[in-house]
Amino acid sequence: MKNCTVVTVCGSGVVTSSMIALKIKEQLRDKGWDATMYEASPVSLESVITGKDIDVIVCASPVTADLGIPKVKGMGMVTGMGEEKVINEIIAVLEEKHKD
Amino acid sequence: MDQAIYRELIMVGVDAKDSEDAIRQVGTLFEKYGFVKDTYVDAVVEREKVFATGLEFPGISIAMPHTDIVHVNKPGVTVAKLAHPVEFEHMGEPGRKVQAEMLFMMAIVNPEDQIGTIMKVLGVFQNEEAMEAFKKAETEDEVYEVAKKYIG
Repeated sequence: MKNCTVVTVCGSGVVTSSMIALKIKEQLRDKGWDATMYEASPVSLESVITGKDIDVIVCASPVTADLGIPKVKGMGMVTGMGEEKVINEIIAVLEEKHKD
Repeated sequence: MDQAIYRELIMVGVDAKDSEDAIRQVGTLFEKYGFVKDTYVDAVVEREKVFATGLEFPGISIAMPHTDIVHVNKPGVTVAKLAHPVEFEHMGEPGRKVQAEMLFMMAIVNPEDQIGTIMKVLGVFQNEEAMEAFKKAETEDEVYEVAKKYIG
């Protein structure tokens, strides 16, 4: 298992982000990634990521700020339509970052 | 797991003129039965303007308004059928509208403890059999039975 760190973002940083965090963690585990998950709202995002080595931000609410961390659109995880696509995009980011 | 569905949190025939009106009418249930503080409904209305909660599924469009845990006393989910579809903005795409037929308003106290409930509610939207049953249910009792069966 390879380690990675993922932040999920939704409007309140409570309901949707927790839900997709659980799904993402499970599906990443199936693909060989042990993910440490953090949840944030667009407002708390900057303080949540400060001091942490975050690999990817998965957004269920639009995040406009450029924080220097790759962002993946996570709506597919909320609706269940396109979960595979979201996971594949996350893994593409992780593989790029952890390729050594 | 915590109970999420309560008979007193079921509403049908909500005749709302817009999304704010729908949230206020349905939110009254939470307030009336002590699930939320008197700041909850205003907080949900404000949050919906910034972070919308409309979602579109193949069988139905819904909205799941909610807000920060500080406004909540006790966890629960209101299940409301609207008399006619009301326009909400889509959660993931600003500017995209959905015509919500139902509202699942959530009162969450501790997301970690209630993740099972949250997953079940989100799961039910993707369950065409469940959404078909919600569409067919006409009375509060019928909606309650469907909600009990699929969410618990």
